[in-house]
Amino acid sequence: MKPAVSIIFSTVSSGAGLGLLALVALCDTFVLVAAGLASSVLHLANPKNAWRSFSRFKSSWLSREAVFAAALFPVSGLYIVLVIQSKGGASRILLAVLTCALAWAVLICTAMIYASLKPIRQWHTRWTPVNYVLLGHWSGALLLWAIACAYAARSGPFLFVAGVFGLAALAAKLAYWHAIEDSTQALTLERAIGVREGARGPGPISAAHARLLDVGHSHGTFLTSEFGFRLARRHARGLRGVALALGFGLPLAWLVVGVPRWQPALAAAVCCIMGLLVERWLFFAEAKHTVRLYHGDPRT
Amino acid sequence: MKLGLVIDLDTCVGCHACATACKEWNASSKVNGALSDYEPFGAEPSGVWFNRVRHYEVGDYPENKTINFPVCCMHCADADCVTVCPTGASYKRDDGIVLVDQDKCMGCNLCAWACPYGARELDQVPGTMKKCTLCVDRIYDEMLAPEDRQPACVLACPTHARMFGDFDDPQSEVSRVTAERGGFGLLPELGYAPVSRYLPPRQPQPVIDADDARALLERGLASLASPVIRR
Repeated sequence: MKPAVSIIFSTVSSGAGLGLLALVALCDTFVLVAAGLASSVLHLANPKNAWRSFSRFKSSWLSREAVFAAALFPVSGLYIVLVIQSKGGASRILLAVLTCALAWAVLICTAMIYASLKPIRQWHTRWTPVNYVLLGHWSGALLLWAIACAYAARSGPFLFVAGVFGLAALAAKLAYWHAIEDSTQALTLERAIGVREGARGPGPISAAHARLLDVGHSHGTFLTSEFGFRLARRHARGLRGVALALGFGLPLAWLVVGVPRWQPALAAAVCCIMGLLVERWLFFAEAKHTVRLYHGDPRT
Repeated sequence: MKLGLVIDLDTCVGCHACATACKEWNASSKVNGALSDYEPFGAEPSGVWFNRVRHYEVGDYPENKTINFPVCCMHCADADCVTVCPTGASYKRDDGIVLVDQDKCMGCNLCAWACPYGARELDQVPGTMKKCTLCVDRIYDEMLAPEDRQPACVLACPTHARMFGDFDDPQSEVSRVTAERGGFGLLPELGYAPVSRYLPPRQPQPVIDADDARALLERGLASLASPVIRR
């Protein structure tokens, strides 16, 4: 899959913001979520119809994401105003619960947009939603720790929460990479064109191997630009290292040092988000759509 | 109704007539609007097509075979491209045809991601998704002669490798030929229940089997040799 910058920024940024919101509502994450969701409109080819995306809540994860995100803005905005003014009481608790629930709902819907796509084996796995939720909470927890270092009397509990999410997110990311390495579920060119592998005799075309002779178009098409992105395995390995070091290694090391000052804490959060941008780029770049089989790839 | 196509991989010669006829008809169709071309006379022409023909080699020499393989929308019974659409632009009609309402599409590409066959292409000019309409503006047009009420690709095919009809009707040509020839759908394991069917290439039947051929040859040689030996 072609890694589109707007979607990568959108999912990482809103993920961090949503994770932070869920944890606070447990702040000004508003900016992150708003930036992320505004960026998601950028990849639309016809944004004037974006308002229609509220209309298929019953069937489409993208529509659900749009509805929950639109509901999150007024609710969380009101909640943040009450937090800043230190007012509220019961209504503030209600808004906190609502904000938290809506932030989780948006995170899960975003993840399910990808996880529900059956033609993309690397996305159609249970680890996709687990990753989105935990990575959002991990980067959000780091931001929360930075805020706590600046404003809270004790930042220790926040550091602990960030550490727990950091380790859980790291485990989820490693499990995801392990899961997509398992190619037993991969589809092949032979299956895509109906050749029964190794079969002889009548029935769907019977022969062992198939290969592309001619792709039928002279230059790029929508399909090659959207699905034809290729990433060499050794580049993927290098970038996974970068994502692990920036997204997990350095911020976790900072947590272990645990200096309760907001500057290094914020640096750790920014470092983590840079790492997650690389991670999200890889999430797209490593995904192979079944259309690529028809364009000659032997397997997905 | 379950309208769809049958594509005969035995007779398809890979001439791309279906693809160009489709482009020609749909470029002026009111269903999707024009099918944009990008730099059609430039160094790298590209554009929106509903039908793409690819060519594969199947098997290893000497048991290899070229398969010409046209792909367009399968008008799936359980079409995920419709399910994932957030705006309601993608929809499935009662007759089985999957269409995109150009006035509602916001160009998010999610339906193209959900389609395993690559049957949907974004038109960059209006920024909307376009796809095979099964020539919905031909097949019901009573101004046309009955034999012309078929998709442009079917009418254009010089080897009659494409057939159009209702798969819900067991007496239709498409249902009968699918049953007779073992027609199959693509990637059924993904669960989209594609409606259109592909007919596998026929297995070549040897005119005479190997043992008979050897016996004939020996008899022939013997009849040639015998006068010489006798002399």
